[in-house]
Amino acid sequence: MFIHHNKCISPQQTFEKTDWEVLHESVENKLKAIEPSYEGIPPGVLRRMGKAVRMGVGCALPVLQGVQADGIIIGTANGGMEDCIKFLNQIIDYEEGMLTPGNFVQSTPNVIAAQLGLMTRNKRYNITHVHRGLAFENAMLDASMMLHENPQAVYLLGAVDEISAYNYNIDHLNGWYKKEPVKSRNLYSSITEGSLAGEGAVMFTVSNQETNAVAKVKGFDTLHTTNEHTVKEALAAFLKKHLHADEKPGIFFTGENGDNRMLKYYSAAESVFDEATTIARFKHMSGEFETASAMALWLACNLPDRLPAHCIKKEGAANSAGNIIIYNNYKGVQHAFICVQKPVNNKE
Amino acid sequence: MEITEKEQLKQQLKQQIIQFLNLTNVKPEDIKDDQPLFGEGLGLDSIDSIELIVLLSREYGITIQDPKEGRKVLVDINTMVDYIIQHRTK
Repeated sequence: MFIHHNKCISPQQTFEKTDWEVLHESVENKLKAIEPSYEGIPPGVLRRMGKAVRMGVGCALPVLQGVQADGIIIGTANGGMEDCIKFLNQIIDYEEGMLTPGNFVQSTPNVIAAQLGLMTRNKRYNITHVHRGLAFENAMLDASMMLHENPQAVYLLGAVDEISAYNYNIDHLNGWYKKEPVKSRNLYSSITEGSLAGEGAVMFTVSNQETNAVAKVKGFDTLHTTNEHTVKEALAAFLKKHLHADEKPGIFFTGENGDNRMLKYYSAAESVFDEATTIARFKHMSGEFETASAMALWLACNLPDRLPAHCIKKEGAANSAGNIIIYNNYKGVQHAFICVQKPVNNKE
Repeated sequence: MEITEKEQLKQQLKQQIIQFLNLTNVKPEDIKDDQPLFGEGLGLDSIDSIELIVLLSREYGITIQDPKEGRKVLVDINTMVDYIIQHRTK
């Protein structure tokens, strides 16, 4: 599967002009997305959209410009949760009486894919995957299966999740976010439980066409486990499957998130690689959210020749060229590996 | 109702419409009293008409059940305010 057009709305400057050196810091343990002006969305439509829908649609429209996608495949754990809670609160506040339709219409997870279908008049395959921390990987699996069945097709593949007050509070009480104030630049030196909340939207067009592709997804795999040794074995098997015996990954990009309970998984995974491979991290840029691995894939596609210093945990001999392995886990249960090759040798 | 009270009600209704419909780029003074709410005027659509009916119910205790009546009421600020003055229960 080859990646072509791509866009990312994130807590960093990634949408219009990517600036790798300027790191936008977390505020009150949240890394909130830097939203663009959404010029492609009519004001009458934009005013009804919640943040997740806004980010997803606003990120996808420029990617779809000039592309007749054969399908829209989105991964999101929660979709527009903020609107969903507004609607549920209305039910209580107005004693199940007359409710406004706007929040309800915007609150279901498949609104992003549906809005994109409506706005681009795309009546083809339209689906949303909602598998929590593996929502994006399941969307990617769907896209790769669709490309297997329809080799000439082009699909929009994307992921969106927002920080909603409801989800943040529940996960904060559950210990998934830091209790003490921690700045994103100090995330990895924090030795306590929890991470920083994050959000964003990432969109790609994917196809089997190698020409002009920015990267190739050579393979990906997911597993559910709480055992770090199982993660290590699965990663070793994954590398063996997707890389030749003499191929060394240039970069191992991990979802290390400053939560001391997750370190055992990332340490076990890092031990699979030797000195040649650079170990890099991205959650200080994205924060923790269910579809953060989509941002890791976008970063892998767009990494500059020299990795920004703030991403590097351990420098190896390689730079961003070659194979990049992404490993992310969500809440120590849902694990995913992605093998990305770049630059792609374009065949004209 | 005195003129000043009616003017106050118009102002209040404009603010409520902006809030209910999330018209973030519109100020109360941008909405003229005789400007059509739908189509070429303020540019509202069918979903907004339901939001306005909910607004009348929640804020003024008015229930509009007949769609024909709704079409006569939801024309502009003047028609809405006249209807509110005649039918409000709170």
